Amino acid sequence: MTVDYLIDLIPFATDFPGLVFIAVIIACAVPIFMFIAVYALVAIYAELKVSSFMQDKVGPMGQGVGLHAGKWGLLQPVADALKLILKEDIIPSTADRKLFIMAPFIVFIGAFITMAALPFSPTIIVADMNIGIFYILAVSSLGIIGLILAGWSSNNKWSLYGAMRSAAQIVSYEIPAAMSIIGVIMLTSTLSMQGIIEHQSGFVWGILPNWIIFQNPFTFLSFFIFFMSGVAECNRTPFDIPEAESELVAGAFTEYSGMRYAFFFLSEYANMFVVSGVAVTAFLGGWQSPIPGLMDSSGWGLFWFMSKSLFLIFVMMWFRWTWPRLRVDQLMSVCWKGFIPIAFFNIFGIGLWKLIIG
Amino acid sequence: MKEIGSIRAEEMVLNIGPQHPSTHGVLRLKVKTDGEIVSEVIPIIGYLHRCFEKHAENITYEQVIPFTDRCDYIASMNNNFGFVVAMEELMDIKVPERVEYIRVIMAELNRIASHLLALGVYGLDIGAFTPFLHMFRDRERILDIFELTCGARLLYNYMWVGGVSHDLPRNFETICIDFLDYFEPNIPEFNQLLTTNKIFIERTADVGVMPAEVAISYGVSGPNLRGSGVKWDVRKDEPYSVYDKFDFEIPVGTGDHGTLGDCWDRYWVRMLEMQESCNIIRQALKAIPDNGDVHAMVPKKIRPPKGSIYRRTESPRGDLGYYIISDGSPTPFRLKMRSPALTSLSVLDEISAGWMISDVIAILGSLDIVLGEIDR
Amino acid sequence: MTADQEKFIADVVEKALAGDMDAINSIEDRSVRAKAKASLVKAKRAAKAQQKSDAPAESDSPNQQETAETQSPLSILLNSTYPDEIIEVLDEGKTIQLHPKQWNEIATFLRDHPEALLDQMECLTGVDLGTEDALQVRYNLHSMKHRHKIEIRINTNRDKPEIPSVETIWRMTDWFEREAYDMYGIVFTNHRDLRRLLCPEDWEGWPLRKDYEEPETYHGIMVPKVKEGWE
Repeated sequence: MTVDYLIDLIPFATDFPGLVFIAVIIACAVPIFMFIAVYALVAIYAELKVSSFMQDKVGPMGQGVGLHAGKWGLLQPVADALKLILKEDIIPSTADRKLFIMAPFIVFIGAFITMAALPFSPTIIVADMNIGIFYILAVSSLGIIGLILAGWSSNNKWSLYGAMRSAAQIVSYEIPAAMSIIGVIMLTSTLSMQGIIEHQSGFVWGILPNWIIFQNPFTFLSFFIFFMSGVAECNRTPFDIPEAESELVAGAFTEYSGMRYAFFFLSEYANMFVVSGVAVTAFLGGWQSPIPGLMDSSGWGLFWFMSKSLFLIFVMMWFRWTWPRLRVDQLMSVCWKGFIPIAFFNIFGIGLWKLIIG
Repeated sequence: MKEIGSIRAEEMVLNIGPQHPSTHGVLRLKVKTDGEIVSEVIPIIGYLHRCFEKHAENITYEQVIPFTDRCDYIASMNNNFGFVVAMEELMDIKVPERVEYIRVIMAELNRIASHLLALGVYGLDIGAFTPFLHMFRDRERILDIFELTCGARLLYNYMWVGGVSHDLPRNFETICIDFLDYFEPNIPEFNQLLTTNKIFIERTADVGVMPAEVAISYGVSGPNLRGSGVKWDVRKDEPYSVYDKFDFEIPVGTGDHGTLGDCWDRYWVRMLEMQESCNIIRQALKAIPDNGDVHAMVPKKIRPPKGSIYRRTESPRGDLGYYIISDGSPTPFRLKMRSPALTSLSVLDEISAGWMISDVIAILGSLDIVLGEIDR
Repeated sequence: MTADQEKFIADVVEKALAGDMDAINSIEDRSVRAKAKASLVKAKRAAKAQQKSDAPAESDSPNQQETAETQSPLSILLNSTYPDEIIEVLDEGKTIQLHPKQWNEIATFLRDHPEALLDQMECLTGVDLGTEDALQVRYNLHSMKHRHKIEIRINTNRDKPEIPSVETIWRMTDWFEREAYDMYGIVFTNHRDLRRLLCPEDWEGWPLRKDYEEPETYHGIMVPKVKEGWE
């Protein structure tokens, strides 16, 4: 919607359609990129502090700007970012140069373009397509190719192991995620992101907001299946075997340093945000306020969307610092023998519910 | 190499190199795998070999004690204890009661500290980051107690032949009881966080089963042997010092979750042992005689009679034995330290064949090795 | 030391020998207390020597049965089954010196015989006895069931040291024999994989032997000398 809106604004758009289109796209992409960068800094800081408090530490602390890590360690992520930028760029001599350089970009692109369809508020959405959620599910798989390229081109047994495990994991967990979304689509009869959110306005069961998670018990279960599959897709604990530090050093990214590593890092956090964003849109009402009627003008939409997404990201961090990790074959059996049958069961249940009751 | 039709599958040799994040020390494991399944694990050690036994032949018996500290640096008190008990049996010295009780208290405190480290690092290997830090927080308090007593946090040189180096400080009993009152309620918290966690159980139960006969044949001892169901503890079966005066249980693995002798059982035995050590310390603090000179029986010059002795004691890792051959001079003729971790590491190949690489890490963590002791 | 002091110390030592340590501990002057303790140690040693010199008088009697009775049941068992292999029985049967030739059979016998059941090898120590013809290996064995112990010693010569390996019988000896090989050069025949354990694979020399000379350099790195003597 924002792209269309901007195109409408420019008076002489019809004279140079191609040029204007490209200019508008860049004008919309840059804020998203800025958003990812800033959000990544905030997320890194949050991870450090959340983990520290859970582990009975205080984490990075400082006395003020320029002293140590800034007051309460606020400059720590800035220091991290600077460090990664200033590091030497090492490409192993036996690595496949072209693939090695290409891999981080593909992974980042896969995470970046999904942000185009996230509905931040009723009026802020870069591309309001009527196949929004389908587009996100399709395009988020692009990252796997980058991961495999990274593992293969490093010419390192450990990276290969990590990449293979990671690819198997992400591909497998896409299935329960997609199946949970199918349940949502059955209820809302539309693939467009804004359409799904608009379906969730009003009340259900009297006092609860009409979010899909509350509409029937099968969608309640679907939310958890989707969220856990999303955690697995981001390679977060308990599914972080591809980057298990105690076994594989850094998994597929062992040979990367400096800015290239920063790109992988950035795309992992971007992925987390996308997964949370889709979960919020599909199940938790998107930019709708939890109490319909209270603070629900379109200006507040951005606030609700961001707070719900950030809460889900906090829950992901909570998981990471509490649970140990699953072994690869246990991970796979949880997906294929656990999540997928439950997801099937959910689709069936949602259909029946809608037929009989709704 | 296998031939399947016209495709060849080769075994891959993977190197879990001397530097790796599982903090057991500098150990190199050559792992032969077929995909993810491991067929053979060959440990290569010697990176931390500091020629302790050769060195001991050139220094006096008193000067050996700081070197024994540095072998198993996590349980230094128990290392000292083993050496001193062997020497006192060789020289037929009877130490005062107060010294015996002090030694027992220190050894048991160090046992708790060592188990805390072992269990915390094991959680880290499995992927749980938080219990590691909680356990280290408690371990810090024990190290503070040690610093209060003898000035050192990790390598103490505390137990001398015939006595100990410093007497207990004035308020030791209060501090110790405070610590125990703070620590014992934490053990159920650790259990809630890690021991009964479903993911942890799935990673460790049924993995790396060590049958009792294999364990005895390989000379495995300590919590590793007790995890396989064998009730053997040197403190009860060949008692030394004043251990026969205390009333404590020997926890044995029972195969609660999964098979008897798996990684979970070894982990669980260590958890229970920490509880038992707390009991022993409480009893010792009540029974300790109030006064007595800790340097009373320390000989001016150690010249043991000619002869040899092998004496073992219970260190947190198992049977720590010292074989001392004396020729009547102030320096040992031959001093051999029989380290329990060496036997634990040698059994790794036997029990990890057929498991996956992640399991090898899990099994190695459950065996609780310290490379300083293996390499000496 | 004045005569008074000497008498005082003698009194105090007598009291201590009778079991009362307080007399010595309560001496205020440090040097006097130290002297008292030293005399106590000397007195104790003298008493023990006295005891020991009494004991051989008993066992000197040529009564074979008496000496057999003071031996442990394990050594009697071994004596009855493999009398030729035993060179010497020391320390009331707790230590037995054997010939290396049939060590393997004896080891199997010791592990499996129902009266012995020595299933746990406590420790395997290599010793360099210093004399011309002696590298020795000492095995400490223990039975989990019967709770008895025995120590077996096997000598071998310095030029071509060979001892049959028992690593298939007690698996613990696998690595301990490798260590003995590494440190002393004792070759354990029929060992499945005898290579150095602690030193690097291409190290030269047998470190724990008494006549060991450190090499000057190892791959270009200077080898530090072990400090001689204690100061």
